[in-house]
Amino acid sequence: MIQHTFGLLVKPSAQWRSIADLPEKSFNTLVLYPCIFAILPAIAWYYGTSQVGWTVGEHGDPIKLTVASARQISILFYFGMLGCIAAIGYFIHWMSATYGANSSFAKGIVIAGLTATPLFITGMVGFHPVLWVDLLIGVVAVSWSIYLLYLGIPIVMGIPEERGFLFSSAVLAIAMVMLICLMVASVLLWDMGAAPAFTD
Amino acid sequence: MSELNTALEHPVYNYKVVRQFAIMTVVWGIVGMLVGVIIAAQLVWPWLSFDQPWFSFGRLRPLHTNAVIFAFGGCALFASSYYIVQRTTQARIVSDKLAAFTFWGWQLVIVAAAITLPLGFTSSKEYAELEWPIDILIAVVWVVYAIVFFGTIMKRKTSHIYVANWFFGAFILAVAVLHIINSLAIPVGMTKSYSVYAGTVDAMVQWWYGHNAVGFFLTAGFLGMMYYFVPKQAGRPVYSYRLSIVHFWALVAVYIWAGPHHLHYTALPDWAQSLGMVMSIILLAPSWGGMINGMMTLSGAWDKLRTDPILRFLVVSLSFYGMSTFEGPMMAIKTVNALSHYTDWTIGHVHSGALGWVAMISIGSMYHLIPILFGKTAMYSTNLINLHFWMATIGTVLYITSMWVNGILQGLMWRAYNQDGTLTYTFVESVSASYPGYLVRMIGGAIFLGGMLLMAYNVYMTTRKDLVPEAAPAAASAA
Repeated sequence: MIQHTFGLLVKPSAQWRSIADLPEKSFNTLVLYPCIFAILPAIAWYYGTSQVGWTVGEHGDPIKLTVASARQISILFYFGMLGCIAAIGYFIHWMSATYGANSSFAKGIVIAGLTATPLFITGMVGFHPVLWVDLLIGVVAVSWSIYLLYLGIPIVMGIPEERGFLFSSAVLAIAMVMLICLMVASVLLWDMGAAPAFTD
Repeated sequence: MSELNTALEHPVYNYKVVRQFAIMTVVWGIVGMLVGVIIAAQLVWPWLSFDQPWFSFGRLRPLHTNAVIFAFGGCALFASSYYIVQRTTQARIVSDKLAAFTFWGWQLVIVAAAITLPLGFTSSKEYAELEWPIDILIAVVWVVYAIVFFGTIMKRKTSHIYVANWFFGAFILAVAVLHIINSLAIPVGMTKSYSVYAGTVDAMVQWWYGHNAVGFFLTAGFLGMMYYFVPKQAGRPVYSYRLSIVHFWALVAVYIWAGPHHLHYTALPDWAQSLGMVMSIILLAPSWGGMINGMMTLSGAWDKLRTDPILRFLVVSLSFYGMSTFEGPMMAIKTVNALSHYTDWTIGHVHSGALGWVAMISIGSMYHLIPILFGKTAMYSTNLINLHFWMATIGTVLYITSMWVNGILQGLMWRAYNQDGTLTYTFVESVSASYPGYLVRMIGGAIFLGGMLLMAYNVYMTTRKDLVPEAAPAAASAA
């Protein structure tokens, strides 16, 4: 599983091709990939927000969350990530017929999960939360993921590149809608008892 | 000029007024967006106001909104509605003189706005800042516009009224009602008046107007544009005509109730807030009905999409329409609004509609329309359109994402408190944390404006009589 991670970061095109050649069964196993890798950012942000803390503007002491609050939010964060991957994966599967590709729910999840690899890896910046540095790294990671998406969809789905371009764009649009859902869900959860608790 | 116009005169239709409005769309687009970039820069570098009251953020901001909505958007709507109503009814516009009056009248309104707003004359109603003499001029021009539009429909040569005209008709009627009712005021001088409504009622009337300016001016009118130019550019019929009629009535019936979501947690009665929230959520259905209809119409034209940048403008505009009409209902939920209101999330949301939907569909439509109006087969340069497309998309994405980050950041910082109940952050800390976002937003806006300048050059070269367009097989469907 880890060879896919390195492969997608180092030689993405070849790696997507080898993923495309995998038998159906391997796809079912690979569903575990996002479940495992999403743990990384969750742990990183748990540690970063509860142990290291962050500062804003001229603020002197670092701001931290209480351990209990950071744990609760990190767990919700983990399931939030998985929920988004599952939803995007479902939509990839759902749209595949429109773009003339064969797919399954598992295949959709695997594509969504593998595409998010740069996000999972760079999510570890959470160990050291510095707002604008983390955000810049985040922008790089998002660009990288979008590149992986446009590269991977035509290869794994086995469709011509121009149709793959449209498919990828449609997935991107879905991803933006999911992002809004995530933002809204965060706000709603905040109101329903998961509000962060800060130390002192 | 008159010689030029005679050479371009269409035997049946009045293209002159369409040409005038189309050119002014580009001109006012550049002016309005330039003011936008200036005020975005002022938020990054506050000294840019140079201590001049007329050049301060508070006076230029209404100038920006009025210029992009009513000057840029308005001219695009006039141009496309006059063109579409003639083409789809196969009748010449009912009166050339009245049409010319709407053109010059509307330009006069814009110039008057550009003078009075920086001088500080304002009714203080958002998107309706203009003082009463200008409001009366708007009302007169608008009524004449309605006479021209509906008069043309009445003398139509086809029995059927194409769906784009339904949207334009609803837009014209609703805006007339909204403008007149919201602008009712008691004048105390040429430059000062007081609203006839008081207190909470005034606020509710204002946002009933404000949200329906979005719903009818910036949505229904542009959907009319979409229903003509998307099928035309794709070379395919509308995916579902029935869906277009159903979502038309649903949109018209529901939008009018959504205004109170601008007044969540204010002195407005709670039931009115909840009603506004529920209606806003229901609004998702008719909004997405329109998006799905447009997308499905385009979906068979995949082969063209790769080579035709005009079609790409239309597709991306529909995507942003879908995204922002999903975001809107979410933000109207009271719990979400408690965080998002008064933050930059709202500004980002407005611009995903304004840049992503309204500007992109207008730009795509103008690229389709301008060669036809000037007797050319295609725009001067397809490559420049392509470049403009990427600049517009990247500019919009930078704008929206920076405002999302800023909005969430501000919302979270304002409500964060410590164990002892004190606030975690001071307000000014949230301002200083927002600086990088303001910078990114200004860069995104500047890139979008740069695209408009390319468009102006491309349009100028297209209108020149001594030039033939470069070979452009991509835009072959522009017929």
